[in-house]
Amino acid sequence: MKEISMHILDIAMNSISAGAKLIEIIIEESKNNNLIKIILKDNGHGMSDDTIKKAADPFYTTRTTRKVGLGIPLLKEACERCNGYFNINSEIGKGTTIECTFERDNIDRAPIGNIGDTIITIINSLDNCELLYKYITDEKSFVLSTLEVRNILEATDIKSSDILLWIKEYVSENTKTMSDY
Amino acid sequence: MKILDFADKLNLDPLYEASKDIEVEGVYIGDLLSIVMSKAKKNYAWITIQTHINTVAVAELLELACIIVVENMEVEEETLDKARELNIPVFKTKASAYEIAAKLYEIGIK
Repeated sequence: MKEISMHILDIAMNSISAGAKLIEIIIEESKNNNLIKIILKDNGHGMSDDTIKKAADPFYTTRTTRKVGLGIPLLKEACERCNGYFNINSEIGKGTTIECTFERDNIDRAPIGNIGDTIITIINSLDNCELLYKYITDEKSFVLSTLEVRNILEATDIKSSDILLWIKEYVSENTKTMSDY
Repeated sequence: MKILDFADKLNLDPLYEASKDIEVEGVYIGDLLSIVMSKAKKNYAWITIQTHINTVAVAELLELACIIVVENMEVEEETLDKARELNIPVFKTKASAYEIAAKLYEIGIK
């Protein structure tokens, strides 16, 4: 997990396992507020209050099943190390939202990483599920919606290599982070 | 080399001395837990500056021999509580990871 994008991939895979029909990934990068905020929202089967509490506990999974893994504990730790916070909201039958932040100029903050690769890896794993990706800075905002891409291309399947390659470049170009070293 | 012998030779302060004294079969140095998870192996001693409770989760998962916290980093009580519960030895030293690695080489762990 050298990069924030790897955490995003990891959590998005949880959303897919949770049977989500829509996954939203929002990256807000504000120079003015010295903040990077990541929001991962799905409409999957959600978690009970008890499970939410356990999700950030690395021993919940490592000792019994390996279903969720250390993914959430590692992301929480990464945020807190950078003076950020980590929050999970979830409701059974409605979905899960994870919101977490990093201090943007913190020396220990990992680079955002290759978000284009991350997005197409997620798209490739989607099954009857849409992805909405937003990148918002102080100056601009960028949105990629798989539903919109599908409609524009009049294609039911966007997992062909030329479409994925185009999405990857489109996303990467529009997520030119001012922050990556 | 057994853990206690190893700790004694390296002059490590025990924060929690587990009741097991197993053979240390290798060493891994790393601070990024996900990388440690993919590289360290069973019965390895792990040298790190990390002190978060997640380190104990990694040690448990990989069945590491022990955790060696270098640079005199403060270890959270929560981390030690979990180490006690799972019987995972945790040591501390003011030496750097490099210094410990060099000593390990000297005492024959190569």
